[in-house]
Amino acid sequence: MMIRRVRLVLLVVTLVVLQTTVFPHLRVFGAIPDLCLVATVAIAFEEGPQTGAIFGFVSGLVVDLFLASPLGLSALANSVTGYTVGVFQSGFVRESRTMPMVLGLIGGLIGGTIFAIVGGIAGQAGYLSLTSVRVIIVAAIYDSIVALAVFPFVRWANHDPDMGYSRR
Amino acid sequence: MVVYRRDARRRPVLLIVVLVSLVLVTVDSRGNGAIDTFRRVARDALQPVQSVVTSVFQPVRNAADGITGYGAVKDENALLKKRLADLEGRFLRQRAVGSQVGELGKLLDLPTIQDATGVAARVISGAPGNFERTLVINKGTSKGIDVGQPVVAGNGLVGKITQASSTEATVTLVDSPGFGVGVRLENSNERGIAEGRTGEREMRLNFLTKLLPACAKNSSPHTCISEGELVFTSAVANAAFPPDIPVAKVTGIEKKTGELESTVSLRPLVNLNDLTYVKVLHWPETTGG
Repeated sequence: MMIRRVRLVLLVVTLVVLQTTVFPHLRVFGAIPDLCLVATVAIAFEEGPQTGAIFGFVSGLVVDLFLASPLGLSALANSVTGYTVGVFQSGFVRESRTMPMVLGLIGGLIGGTIFAIVGGIAGQAGYLSLTSVRVIIVAAIYDSIVALAVFPFVRWANHDPDMGYSRR
Repeated sequence: MVVYRRDARRRPVLLIVVLVSLVLVTVDSRGNGAIDTFRRVARDALQPVQSVVTSVFQPVRNAADGITGYGAVKDENALLKKRLADLEGRFLRQRAVGSQVGELGKLLDLPTIQDATGVAARVISGAPGNFERTLVINKGTSKGIDVGQPVVAGNGLVGKITQASSTEATVTLVDSPGFGVGVRLENSNERGIAEGRTGEREMRLNFLTKLLPACAKNSSPHTCISEGELVFTSAVANAAFPPDIPVAKVTGIEKKTGELESTVSLRPLVNLNDLTYVKVLHWPETTGG
């Protein structure tokens, strides 16, 4: 259990470092992926809605410390996305190679939309606009691509040697 | 058959995290010293790791763009761009001084950009999110940088410091939605607010003290707005920016049917998507008693 928690902490720190140092230089049509959101979706797929919501909240809070937007915005978006994905993933009875991409895309769309709407309501200028729609779609596509790398990383971090894998 | 890892918590976890998140968003939107301190501590804690990753990734980036001296060429290019921008800025400021001749007597008691000292910094990253127009620079409060200080490049205004830890700081760019700066027109000296627009890199000139038409063929430049005309930060007491910093250039004047005033479009003079070096101004200057 302790090893798993340490790995999950390392996972969040690594993704935040990559998010703030590497991916700002790799913009595609002005958008970058949200690595912690993708990791939240992966955790929710493995563990279910409750754990997905908690991981999303914690990882989102860490990311918020490095954004100009208000603290709690990514935490809210990631936790709701994690819970939603966790609820609906119970319908998937087998894995496929494209599942990470599909989940990354869906998670990106849900998380990005929540972030933009709540941010706009909270008074952040420019969040509620057609430009935001374009950014959300492009970022979600980017999320689906990076999900191919993030999902295995999450599986490794989430593996508890004492309990074995929860899903194969 | 699907097998879940045992997750027996039935508490309303989602409700709790949503409520906590909304409280944090509300509190931080209104400004909170404790949250700001927490942010600074977190950024300082992660900064050494970020520096290492940046150092490791930089050569990989250069290699991806093609090697054979690309890094050296890029450094030299950045230095030359900085020198060129400095020269352009000097030339533009001379235009500002030229148009200010009639106003000089009124400004004798106001500090100017020449009075402002500053700290040079290097841009280390763009915005880490998708909904902000920011840069991260490699100097922070340990070098005298503080929230609210203006940031310039050689040829104009870049933005202002909105977050700062001891080792780095975040600059909100001048074309960011919701960012406004008091400006004056080069020829007429009329004052207004230059504001960033959502989804556009161009800004708008709003709230002009006097409605001016687009210049016609024989119009006096002091009574109209012309394309290519510059706007500078305006000189007012307790201003957020030093006066006479070049900000943008007029790119279009459009008046739609039924509207009272024209829509004046501005393009920032600084290429905000390709910045390597900036200067953070100590503004307002603190003067001895």
